Amino acid sequence: MTAEIRNDVIVATEHIKAPPEVVFPYFTDPALIVTWIGDRAELDPQPGGVFSLDMGEALARGAYITVDPPYRVVFSWGIPGSDALPPGGSTVEVVLTPDGNDTMVVLTHRGLPSTHIGGHRAGWEHQLGRLPAAAG
Amino acid sequence: MKGVPAGSLAEQEQPAPAAPDAVLRALADPHRRQILRLVQHTELPAGRIAATFTLTQQAVSQHIGVLKQAGLLTERREGTRRLYTLHHESLEPVRELLSEFWPDALSRLKKAVETAHPQPQKSSS
Repeated sequence: MTAEIRNDVIVATEHIKAPPEVVFPYFTDPALIVTWIGDRAELDPQPGGVFSLDMGEALARGAYITVDPPYRVVFSWGIPGSDALPPGGSTVEVVLTPDGNDTMVVLTHRGLPSTHIGGHRAGWEHQLGRLPAAAG
Repeated sequence: MKGVPAGSLAEQEQPAPAAPDAVLRALADPHRRQILRLVQHTELPAGRIAATFTLTQQAVSQHIGVLKQAGLLTERREGTRRLYTLHHESLEPVRELLSEFWPDALSRLKKAVETAHPQPQKSSS
């Protein structure tokens, strides 16, 4: 597992011992997505379909842009009421690459507000639901 | 990471380095985030900060106190006035935490998938 942050882009990767066919629905099925992120989801995985995730108090709102099972999914991501990161303000691209029976997941979050407080503000707002616990 | 050099400005109270916890708690309030936005690029007296809120001056002072304690505000005295500005460096621990958001999420994904779909162990490869 690695992550790289460069200005307005975060790239995170993970190797998962399951094929892309198994991993993909974890980005499109509300019952599966909440097993790893958020606690409530409304997902309509088709271009223009709603992507809505509640993470405690923090809300992520956007829409699916590309849904190409089982290899690639792109959705927009933002925070209601945030001027720095409005709903649909940034995009998350997930690419699943087969590796034998396994999958390499490369997640790229683009269009984050630039570093320092402008960026963090958005971050705070979408993180605050979970970070205090994670930090504690 | 190196600490902030202390005592460089006699009249300025350098905030103590705060744990991400304290910073996050301080940031968990929309009024406090608003205060930080106000002093993000400029230095303002408490009165000017309070004037932008419908809260009582006392409530605003309390928020300023929390932000100071978390090391998010630098305070400078000028006569009887106290001027505040954002202490950018104290956001660094939060940035570090944020940088872990997606990697953390993906490791939970890995755990969720591999728990639900265990693969038979390969003897060697």
